[in-house]
Amino acid sequence: MASLRVFSTNHQSPLLPSPLSSKPLLSLPRFVKSHTRQSPIRSVLQFNRKPELAGETPRIVVITSGKGGVGKTTTTANVGLSLARYGFSVVAIDADLGLRNLDLLLGLENRVNYTVVEVLNGDCRLDQALVRDKRWSNFELLCISKPRSKLPMGFGGKALEWLVDALKTRPEGSPDFIIIDCPAGIDAGFITAITPANEAVLVTTPDITALRDADRVTGLLECDGIRDIKMIVNRVRTDMIKGEDMMSVLDVQEMLGLSLLGVIPEDSEVIRSTNRGFPLVLNKPPTLAGLAFEQAAWRLVEQDSMKAVMVEEEPKKRGFFSFFGG
Amino acid sequence: MASIDSLQFHSLCNPQSSLGRSKLLIPSSFVVFKRRPKNLNWFQVETSRRFVCKSIGDSSTPDEEIQNTQNDDDDVATAQGDVSRDSENSISRFRSMITNISCDSEGSVLRFRSMITTLPPVIFVMKKCSGNSIWIGICIAATVLVAAIRAYVIRKSRDDRPAGSVADLVRRGQLRSGDRRGISKTLNYEDPFNNPFVKLGKGSTTVEMCGKVYRLAPVTLTEKEQTIHQKRRSRAYQWKRPTVFLKEGDSVPPDVDPDTVRWIPANHPFATTVSDIDQDLAQNNVYQKQGVPFRIRAEHEAMQKKLEALQNEEKLNNLGIDSQNARDFQRPYKFSAKLDDENIQENHTGNSSSEETNKS
Repeated sequence: MASLRVFSTNHQSPLLPSPLSSKPLLSLPRFVKSHTRQSPIRSVLQFNRKPELAGETPRIVVITSGKGGVGKTTTTANVGLSLARYGFSVVAIDADLGLRNLDLLLGLENRVNYTVVEVLNGDCRLDQALVRDKRWSNFELLCISKPRSKLPMGFGGKALEWLVDALKTRPEGSPDFIIIDCPAGIDAGFITAITPANEAVLVTTPDITALRDADRVTGLLECDGIRDIKMIVNRVRTDMIKGEDMMSVLDVQEMLGLSLLGVIPEDSEVIRSTNRGFPLVLNKPPTLAGLAFEQAAWRLVEQDSMKAVMVEEEPKKRGFFSFFGG
Repeated sequence: MASIDSLQFHSLCNPQSSLGRSKLLIPSSFVVFKRRPKNLNWFQVETSRRFVCKSIGDSSTPDEEIQNTQNDDDDVATAQGDVSRDSENSISRFRSMITNISCDSEGSVLRFRSMITTLPPVIFVMKKCSGNSIWIGICIAATVLVAAIRAYVIRKSRDDRPAGSVADLVRRGQLRSGDRRGISKTLNYEDPFNNPFVKLGKGSTTVEMCGKVYRLAPVTLTEKEQTIHQKRRSRAYQWKRPTVFLKEGDSVPPDVDPDTVRWIPANHPFATTVSDIDQDLAQNNVYQKQGVPFRIRAEHEAMQKKLEALQNEEKLNNLGIDSQNARDFQRPYKFSAKLDDENIQENHTGNSSSEETNKS
């Protein structure tokens, strides 16, 4: 496992939205070419070391986006399991009230018998509603509700705060991370999901629709008092960025003004891993997206952010026998 | 062409054409030369071919001439001049012509010979390099074999789809299909702290991930810029977290800020404002660490009470039954007659009474 750390750079971006403008991010600038950067890059690879946990435990992280389909649940599953693989105790809460999918991505759908609604009703205890992953015993899943049940919104947010308190004081010890998978939109489910969170991970894709929603959600999170917001740019295609058909990660960052937790390249393996209920980070051999999720989890643990991003793929040098596949 | 005699040499290698020609074109003189090195200086030519020297008179028609020129494939030399009947003059002229012809034909034969020698080079090469050609052939065959094996391996690896396919969905019960019952391979987990798939390039400007090399660029966002963005958003989005959830149509309580009210539609599929459980009770349920859950315990207690009640009723009933049995034993005929009367009454009243009895 490697994490890139680059110490560098104070560049004034020429494409920042006007700081004095109080308008939301409605009109996005045109696609821009990669900028000339002259700062030296120094990176340090971290091998064979467990990341050092920063901040107070449990770290309560909400993974949100605003727009649907950008990869919130995939990020939750992969980052959660990466953290578990690093040796941290993790509880992932699927706060999507009606359209929960985290259990499917983790392959735990057949083991969800009780949810938070049953806990609130007194049909089961909290520890009975927690589904422990057999692959990594320090990873547990908790679903808010069953697909056909309704959560009383009168104490939806409060219920999550009670849950966090109960997890803190449970006999086997407080978890290191509580990761909340937020539903799309800014509806009642979003309000419920962000209630107990201290920090947020904003997942977005490099397209204008996702960016506008992400900017709005970031604004709501900041209004709610969550200041530690980092973003993951998902489904990045370096070939399209090179052809100026897609905004680069740096462009996205300039528009949203958020620290980068990770950059996830587009990978066909994501669909396959979703289908089989096996998160990408457990793939062997590892995939590009899986490695990127691992690195994002690493930075999350250390409350670090990316200092260098992958811009484009260098052309591969073809050997003399490349005609024969060499 | 009337005054022109033509002299032609024909190789006798083609006897048919020469015979035909002799019949058509050479009625007067037919001279056969056998090549001799002394006269003709044809040292180079070692073949013993015979050439026919023909004199073409005026009798030949233009058509025949055309035919001749078309049919002649060999080198042809034509001598022009007046043909006299004087043999000496003709011989001397013939000699001079022959020397000219010999010179011309020498060059043409040389060209012909060189052409022949250049025609079959492959055979000579194959004969000369028979030992090397085997190795060349082996190399070509080996190359073709390697390419074929590689293509086969690639195709096979393409066919052997890893887990995550539709078959896996079937295996996990997500899809119903009797035909697809693939079982995925067992997956191993590699050590996250020893990942050889990520390597930093020289000069730290590139990183290699999964065999692909990517160029790195530094992040340029500063804290100042972040603050500017935060200020922009705080101006743009004025938002308060909703704390009160009301059903659409309800009136806002007087002590509640309207900005903090979230209106939930009555037919919202996932959220409701109605809760059938008490908030404190729900909180206690969440905090419960051990023991029987509240609802289960409550249901159990309720059931136990009901059972006890039933048992009490049963005791009473048993007592009653005993007395009834006693009565039945005492008055069997009267009881059965009473039942018959009731049945007759029910038939008269119809479904309404039966409904009543059912309800009761």
